[in-house]
Amino acid sequence: MKKPGFSRRDVLIGSSALAVGTVFASPIRAAAPPPTAITPAMIEAAKKEGKVVWYTSVDLPVAEKVGKAFEAKYPGVAVRVERTGAERVFQRIGQEYASNIHAVDVVQSSDAAHFIVWKRDGILAPYVPEDVAKFYPAEHKDPDGMFATWRAWLCTLGYNTNMVKKEEAPKSFADLLDQKWTGKIVKAHPGYSGTIMTATFQITRDIGWDYLEKLAKQKIMQVQSSTDPPKKLALGERAVMADGNEYNMFQLKEKGDPVEIIYPTEGTPLIVGPNGVLKNAPNPNAARLFQSFCFTPETQQLIVDVGGLRSFHPQAKEKAGRTPLKDIKLMKDDPAGVEKTAEEIKARYTKIFGV
Amino acid sequence: MASVELRGLTKRYDTIAVVDDVSLHIEHGSLVCLLGPSGCGKTTTLRLIAGFMEPTVGEIFVGGRLLSSPARTLPPEQRNMSMIFQSYALWPHMTVAENVAYGLKLRKLDRDTIARKLNAILSTTRLANMADRYPGELSGGQQQRVALARALVVDPETLLLDEPLSNLDANLREEMRFEVRRLHDEYRYTTVYVTHDQAEAMTTADVIAVMNAGKIEQAGSPEDIYDRPRSEFVARFIGASNVVKGKALDENHLSLAGTALRCTGGKFAPGRDAALSIRQHDIRLHAAALQAVENVMKATVVRQVFLGSSRDYLVEVADATQFRVVTSADESIPQGSAVWLELPPDHCRALRA
Amino acid sequence: MTIALTERTGWKPVRFDASQATLYAFAALLCVLVILPLSWLVIYSLTDKSGGLTLENFRRLFTESVFLEPLITTFIIATSSSVICCSVAAPMGWLVARTDLPLSRIIRALVTASFVTPPFLGAIAWELLAAPNSGLLNKFFRFITGAPQDEHLFNIYSMSGLVFVICCYTFPYVFVLVANALDRMPGDLEDASSILGGRAWVTARRVTIPLALPALLAGAIIAFLQAMTLFGSPAILALPAGFHTMTTKIWSLFQYPPKPELAAAASLPLLILTVMLLRAEHFILGRRGYSVVAGKQSAPRLIPLRWMKWVAFAGCMVVLLLPVILPYAALVNAAFSPIATTLLTPANATLHNINFVFFELSATKVALKNTIILGTLAATLGTLLAVVIGYLTARKAVPGYRALGFLATAPIAIPGIVLGVGLFLSYTRPPFVLYGTIWILLLAYLTIELPAAYQQLQSAYRAVHPELEDASRILGATRLQALRQITAPLLCTSVIATWCFIFVSVIRELSAAIILFTSETKVISVLIFDLKESGDLGAIAVLGLAMLLLTFTVVLFVNRIPGFGSGVRLRNN
Repeated sequence: MKKPGFSRRDVLIGSSALAVGTVFASPIRAAAPPPTAITPAMIEAAKKEGKVVWYTSVDLPVAEKVGKAFEAKYPGVAVRVERTGAERVFQRIGQEYASNIHAVDVVQSSDAAHFIVWKRDGILAPYVPEDVAKFYPAEHKDPDGMFATWRAWLCTLGYNTNMVKKEEAPKSFADLLDQKWTGKIVKAHPGYSGTIMTATFQITRDIGWDYLEKLAKQKIMQVQSSTDPPKKLALGERAVMADGNEYNMFQLKEKGDPVEIIYPTEGTPLIVGPNGVLKNAPNPNAARLFQSFCFTPETQQLIVDVGGLRSFHPQAKEKAGRTPLKDIKLMKDDPAGVEKTAEEIKARYTKIFGV
Repeated sequence: MASVELRGLTKRYDTIAVVDDVSLHIEHGSLVCLLGPSGCGKTTTLRLIAGFMEPTVGEIFVGGRLLSSPARTLPPEQRNMSMIFQSYALWPHMTVAENVAYGLKLRKLDRDTIARKLNAILSTTRLANMADRYPGELSGGQQQRVALARALVVDPETLLLDEPLSNLDANLREEMRFEVRRLHDEYRYTTVYVTHDQAEAMTTADVIAVMNAGKIEQAGSPEDIYDRPRSEFVARFIGASNVVKGKALDENHLSLAGTALRCTGGKFAPGRDAALSIRQHDIRLHAAALQAVENVMKATVVRQVFLGSSRDYLVEVADATQFRVVTSADESIPQGSAVWLELPPDHCRALRA
Repeated sequence: MTIALTERTGWKPVRFDASQATLYAFAALLCVLVILPLSWLVIYSLTDKSGGLTLENFRRLFTESVFLEPLITTFIIATSSSVICCSVAAPMGWLVARTDLPLSRIIRALVTASFVTPPFLGAIAWELLAAPNSGLLNKFFRFITGAPQDEHLFNIYSMSGLVFVICCYTFPYVFVLVANALDRMPGDLEDASSILGGRAWVTARRVTIPLALPALLAGAIIAFLQAMTLFGSPAILALPAGFHTMTTKIWSLFQYPPKPELAAAASLPLLILTVMLLRAEHFILGRRGYSVVAGKQSAPRLIPLRWMKWVAFAGCMVVLLLPVILPYAALVNAAFSPIATTLLTPANATLHNINFVFFELSATKVALKNTIILGTLAATLGTLLAVVIGYLTARKAVPGYRALGFLATAPIAIPGIVLGVGLFLSYTRPPFVLYGTIWILLLAYLTIELPAAYQQLQSAYRAVHPELEDASRILGATRLQALRQITAPLLCTSVIATWCFIFVSVIRELSAAIILFTSETKVISVLIFDLKESGDLGAIAVLGLAMLLLTFTVVLFVNRIPGFGSGVRLRNN
């Protein structure tokens, strides 16, 4: 496993970048490659390769639907979805690359910090789809063109409407610490889920570790993925969730399951999930085609409608019935901060919660 | 055919010598019987000859060629021998014909030759109409004949037989004893035959080697072994013998219950403990005392059993030593009577200490 | 009898004997298979990150509570499982083998079914049944008693829940050992007691039970070992309950950044404990032996139960509800329901899950393909290996055959997850980088399944009299020829049974695969485990049922073959 840290190559690149920067002494103009449009030649090359392997942590049905939509648009290129928790995606890629195994073409993670590491390790390929260059705001794409925010969502609270009345439902993180919720809470784990890792970072930064230490005494049901608590709510297994994906909640609610979202008063953690192409992708053309496909307005609309996700593509319309982003108090996302403290957060969480 | 020679053959497992310094020369064309009780090492010796195990010490020569030694042992498949196993070891998934033809097929003979030899051996072992049966469908006697046919059809240099008759019933066994001898006379294979049954040994063998605890106690012709046993073990094992112990008076006389008995066949060490053996049917019983006859002792009849063709007596002499005596059925001496035993010196065998 | 004089055929066989070379090659393969991962395990546990020798890993293992607690937890779980399994399985075994319990064949068949069910699948099914709020059984309880929403009868997310599920799928081991021992006990022994006046119960107490005690002890040890080394069930139930076992801890040490040194160090205590317990089992059983070797034996006389018959039968069926009937029903329910723990009705039955698994889930095809390929390869190669090694040891054909026999059974002592770690360490470094290929999985499966296959074939070899091979050798066949022409055909049924056994075991193997797989080499068990992580219970149920279907097809096929023994050990997962 590559140790986090700078290799000599990184230092070289870093120092030359610095040098270049000082020479020009102007706001850094992105060293990103020019945007690429989808061309018939690209499609042909992709068809020759025949498949694209996508490691992702987005909820499985959503991932598969995106895959099927791609296959429908570009018949002849199959999509292999490998879905697992973001932290495990990160571990898998690390293990595979350490053994010189290049199996993955495109990677999507719910932990934006991962992309910082990957970019630093030099395993990402610079590639800018047309849509990203044209439509995406600067803070949601990499200046060097290695990745862009493919999806965004919130990590919210929630409750089962059959088991809890609206008036009694908790309205904030602090409410969860009330005795009446002991043994009734389900929560996911930052060691497995990138969403929860990011959320935990934001929560401990804004509210403090004190909250988690008190929450640990509430006899919570610990699950792994952030896609699980909403499902446990729908099953009726627990009454309240302390964290979980907003997009899963949307899907279940709109399907008719008895769940409801709570946006805590202290602020709701915002999670962004970038998508990027690997430099040593076994199917490079298919990878680039898929990456471009992911950022088209159609695909972004798909993930909003079907997936319940939020998109930063201005042409993707918010679905009716969902609280628009601008109306929600958000916590600020800070991938660099997450990257620095991820290990510490995991260790401390394990100590507090015992698993 | 070739001669088989065992030189100082020893097989040890840890510290126990199962075969202990066995030396034997088997003339080519002769049938030698390894006779002894179970555990005496006779089967191990046979398997050493066959090459299934290597000797710890010693050598085995066949036809002058060194086949087995502690350094190098030729595997069984290269020895050109044949073996009949106690369990017959017929392969249950092959027919009789396939069983018998197996060895021929291994020798890569052409099909016609195989067919010819197969038919010949099957007809002579009276198995021709069972060629397509499976061993599980045959009687014990028929299975034995298949084993025989399978072993003989390949014309081995040496034939090894491991208690081949012990699984047959008594009548068949008797009949087969003679068959084995007859076959041997016909083919003159060098044959090594292992058994625990002395009647089989006496019937079939040219030479009997009596084995005990890994060693050969005595090797010789059947008459030799029977009439002139050289040790207590051989005397007891072959034929029904009385073996009695006493003190040696001089080289030829043994003192037993106050009587000096003259013995033949060996010399005693004077003054030491010694033993003699005499066959049960060699002792003569007299109802009255005898004069001027050697080796006569007074005894009491403890028990008498009528066996139809003979009578079996248990008599006891003065010092509580008991003798078993077998006589003809005519004379009956009742229990408790006094009787005089005559032990003819020629039949009183002096035994090795 | 007249025998015509036949021509003498002079024959001197002179040919190169490939037997020895081949046999030595197989032996060497076995050594590499077993010794390599173990050596790397030991090496890693004694080194630190920079490669220097250290005992630091072990110090951390035994002083830090993060490691000590799982150690203690594992010990508690293993002990309680062992005790419970024995108290349930032993009476059942006695009932089935020694009394006139009605329909005992059904009981045996159901025990076989629980043998064959992968424990992790059982754990998931029990989640569906006994999760405190959504579990079907708890819903039923609330329905009947009218209890309020947050009351429940069973909570599967607890230590006792985990122990319960472990017992469900471990008790067959004890049952089989006890029932077999009792089956083989000659009736004479008990007849002797009853002739002297001992009534049924006294005879059972004074004669039968003491004679069966060795088997029971052996069963207790095996149950302890299985419970200690299980990975799937704790991974599924312990995390929501908030605790780790040794196996889940070892697995967690592989998360980023992986700490293989600690993982190796944590694996060694499991390994050592397993070896010690197995020696104890061997010692207990070895002295008395299973079979009572004597002349003729009489069949056991069955103790009449009279009015107790049906009570006993009902009792057994209640026990067998737990590992088999209820969980399978829960899986079927989840497979066809819109929400996994909603009761299935004709109205709400849906094919959505089946559709998802087989048409939308892109990993299904790959997983199915890999599983079947690996199962077939492992079964074929494993059987071949077991046949040759079994021959070498049964016929003592090479010097050092005892060491070979030991090596062939040694992997039993290696828990699946430990082996996964060892293989990972061995084959993610040059010269043999096998990580990421199916070959590393194949190696894992071969190593794991070899011992049981070897033992099965050993008993088969014992049934083939060595003189049958000797007879062919004296007629001129080499060892290999004898093996091929004589022994192998006679072993036919055992060989087929072994093949099927390995195939079935490979399908359900999880603990090694979870460490060694990559996206291209995923297998069904790992896929199910992954789906569990994201909570897709409906998909899990469909895949699980598919797995069970495949397994049972093979098992039923094998049972048609006469002579397939039932006293066979399946690897745990």
